[in-house]
Amino acid sequence: MNASSPLLQVRGVSKTLGGRAILHDVSITVDPGDLKVLIGPSGAGKSTFLQCINRLIAPDEGEILLNGMPIDGSSTAELCRLRQEVGMIFQDFNLFDHLTAEANVALALRKVRGLSSDNAGKRARKELERVGLASRAGLYPAQLSGGQKQRVAIARALAMEPKVLLLDEPTSALDPELVGEVLAVIRDLAAGGMPMIMATHQMDFARSLATEILFMEQGRIIEQGSPADLLATGANTRTRDFCSRLIASESGKAGA
Amino acid sequence: MDAFLHSLTTVFNALPYIAQGAFVTIVMVAGALSLGFLLGLPLAVAQVYAPRPVRMLVGLYVWFFRGVPVLLLLFLFYFGLFNVIGLDLGMIGSSCAVLGLASAAYQSQIFRGSIQSLPSGQFKAGRALGMTDMQCIRSVVLPQALRISIPAWSNEYSILLKDSAMCFALGTPEIMARTHFVASRTYEYLPLYIAAGCIYFLITLAGITLLRRLERRVRIPGCAAPDMTGDSAGGMQTGI
Amino acid sequence: MKRLLACLLGVALACSLSSAASAKTYVNGIDANYPPFSFVGEDGNPTGFDIEAMNWIAAKMGFEVKHQPMDWDGIIPALLAGKIDMVCSGMSISPERAAQVAFSDPYYTISKLIVVKDDSDMSAEQALNGKIRLGVQRGTNEHAYLEQMQQDRKLPFTLRPYDSPPMAIADLLNGRIDAAALDSAPVNNAIAMGRKIKSVGTFAPDDNFGVAIRKDDAELLKTVNEGYRQLKADPFWKELQDKYLSQK
Repeated sequence: MNASSPLLQVRGVSKTLGGRAILHDVSITVDPGDLKVLIGPSGAGKSTFLQCINRLIAPDEGEILLNGMPIDGSSTAELCRLRQEVGMIFQDFNLFDHLTAEANVALALRKVRGLSSDNAGKRARKELERVGLASRAGLYPAQLSGGQKQRVAIARALAMEPKVLLLDEPTSALDPELVGEVLAVIRDLAAGGMPMIMATHQMDFARSLATEILFMEQGRIIEQGSPADLLATGANTRTRDFCSRLIASESGKAGA
Repeated sequence: MDAFLHSLTTVFNALPYIAQGAFVTIVMVAGALSLGFLLGLPLAVAQVYAPRPVRMLVGLYVWFFRGVPVLLLLFLFYFGLFNVIGLDLGMIGSSCAVLGLASAAYQSQIFRGSIQSLPSGQFKAGRALGMTDMQCIRSVVLPQALRISIPAWSNEYSILLKDSAMCFALGTPEIMARTHFVASRTYEYLPLYIAAGCIYFLITLAGITLLRRLERRVRIPGCAAPDMTGDSAGGMQTGI
Repeated sequence: MKRLLACLLGVALACSLSSAASAKTYVNGIDANYPPFSFVGEDGNPTGFDIEAMNWIAAKMGFEVKHQPMDWDGIIPALLAGKIDMVCSGMSISPERAAQVAFSDPYYTISKLIVVKDDSDMSAEQALNGKIRLGVQRGTNEHAYLEQMQQDRKLPFTLRPYDSPPMAIADLLNGRIDAAALDSAPVNNAIAMGRKIKSVGTFAPDDNFGVAIRKDDAELLKTVNEGYRQLKADPFWKELQDKYLSQK
């Protein structure tokens, strides 16, 4: 392992789906302590890009390097290792519907890490406690609110002790009053130094916590920089333009 | 009144004999359902997740066994294939095997439908945690797909139970064959057929009741009962 | 799941063991819906004229015989496939069957009767030339014979095939057919059982019953022929006829 190489490096990822180019030559680098925020209109390729990083979608071109070592996409073992190191949170939570919150968190600990049921359960309860859901461990996904579900999903990802976390619009599917509890958990993670790449429309959150903002459109990163640079009053950037439209439409919705 | 009493006596005397046929029927159906399950589940998984050539092979299997009447299958296998390859399972064994092979085709389609009705996100979430595809299928997809399958599966049970009557073509002494034998001797066709009907009905009822109980026991808490409308179940699954 | 599999294997094993019990056992495939020649008795075991005759022959000739009820439609395929070794169950010797299997010497001659309800005044002649519904046992000699006759002479009756003679007789009594064309033995048996039917004449030449055996099984054929020769010389032959085939 090379001490100077970045934690996670994604180089030149392209993807074509059904004859349509979704991603063109997209790259990103994550170092310890980074919180990189992806923004951009829907259909820009943010979600596809995130899923290319842990190879849930196999990119047509480009490579993914973990601690400077390239990942061989044709090896199941390498893929499983990559996905343990790079956790993922989905917009729709994707909890396992037939398992309790605790079992949701414990499943991969048993199957992937090979922990005993007892140890996996203990570990799962600890992770749930970390996201404030110790008392909900025995409930099934259908018995939880959206915010609670997303917190269980975060606990599930954290249990695998990932080095990097990918978050794909983690609050988009939530009722507005539930967004806060999930963002609070993510904020704690950021404060703890967990490196993250997060696609989101929560601009206040991005502004205050992002180490870098990447603006995506039509499968390309067209602007990137610190929040201060991209969102400064008077800055003539696509990012700022997009954000002001986003805020306008949000307040428009609120007014209606 | 005399004739009625005579019929009743005939049926009563024949009951132990026919009941032995019920035992044969139950063994046969249980065997065929188990074989159909053990074979149908991998077939369903293969039809959803395997590469195209394998999917086509499974499709061919399903097409054949659903397209050919059970009676014909019994003849084809018992007198044909099993004989050619020198496989002697006996009558009950062969009946089990043929009914099981046919049931596998039907069961695979039940399971396939259930697997495909599940939201794909959970599979993705499993993969994202570092689980292999097989682990995702075993621990995430199948436990849910099997739960959804129970109502359709109990349907398959009752159909198979009645199909089993055709196994008399091989000489399998099940309920219908025995009823027929007694009727040929005594000429009490109607009362005996009514009695046989009652036995089939009881076996169906017992099986369906057991499966209902199973369905209730494995129901996922918080989810609507599976006999609710499709879109409320879908809403539950995506959790929105 | 493992337990179910074990169960299944157990059943299969038990079946294969029971069918391969001992080398000198011959399996006789029978139509158990053909009283009085072969049917299932009140104790649930196969019995009848043919069954008792073959049991006697087996005892005399020194082999074991097991009587296996089969579907009549599948009985020749079962014989050819080696699932059974013989058919001694009121099987008529016909050229079509003789092309596939060997037959023993004829052991019984049976006439082909037109049967009507006993209060009917229909004659055999009327039955064959009238526009009536005529019952017959499916897949038998008489079935083939009547179809041929109908085709050759453009006869107006409608053939109604039944699984077994008793079913045809039951439907005759129900009035769903007007007459039935059947072997004399099951008819006599039904009359002896008190069914209100009567025979009004024949419709075809007499048939001979023989035991069907695979063509390559010359040894068994010889044994069975010798067995019948001895049986016919024995008083038991007369006893059997009195027991099962007498017309009361």
